[in-house]
Amino acid sequence: MNSVGEACTDMKREYDQCFNRWFAEKFLKGDGSGDPCTDLFKRYQQCVQKAIKEKEIPIEGLEFMGHSKEKPESSS
Amino acid sequence: YKWRDCLLTPDDYVFPTSHPWDTVIKAAMRKYPNPMNPCVVGVDVLERSVDGRGRLHSHRLLSTEWGLPGFVKAILGTSRTLTYIKEHSVVDPVEKKMELCSTNITLTNLVSVNERLVYTPHPEDPEMTVLTQEAIITVKGISLGSYLESLMANTISSNAKK
Repeated sequence: MNSVGEACTDMKREYDQCFNRWFAEKFLKGDGSGDPCTDLFKRYQQCVQKAIKEKEIPIEGLEFMGHSKEKPESSS
Repeated sequence: YKWRDCLLTPDDYVFPTSHPWDTVIKAAMRKYPNPMNPCVVGVDVLERSVDGRGRLHSHRLLSTEWGLPGFVKAILGTSRTLTYIKEHSVVDPVEKKMELCSTNITLTNLVSVNERLVYTPHPEDPEMTVLTQEAIITVKGISLGSYLESLMANTISSNAKK
């Protein structure tokens, strides 16, 4: 599956592999602490945010999660 | 449409699947690509975090090709069929519940498709998973509105069965 930004597909796949492994082997087994994929995610995000701007995709600055205690780290 | 409230009036479909919850949601996370749903052409994770209750939140951007028949595109007055959808999902590994809410963020002046899926273990058989799916589809300003609504509803429900 591709990224919405063509140049980001490889980074996306690397991140997805890392995430899927962590998700199945750690998170679902009760170990949600630690995130081995942060660096991959940051790089991938920089690319995606750029593609979103270039394609003028109307996604607002992610101010969701009214019900969670922790604010997610902003990626930009 | 509020993310927190996800959904609203049910057009409820409950599909027992013959796999335990863990298996189903690992697959759901990797749902795209799914050869049964060729409409999704791009997926990106925009944000991901674990909240104070240990639940994983993901915000994803999906790009989809609706595959609308030519005459429908003509009615809509657009040849642009690439549609973007934003999706928020929450996975609770303790309660064993995964909830996904999505809404289109383009073509919003024509149609609004809000979908909510919830995966939980089957209450009577832990080897099975129940998928509950709800959708609210609103077509705006078109006289053939109710036809399009049922067309989309049929597509969504037949995709969910796969």
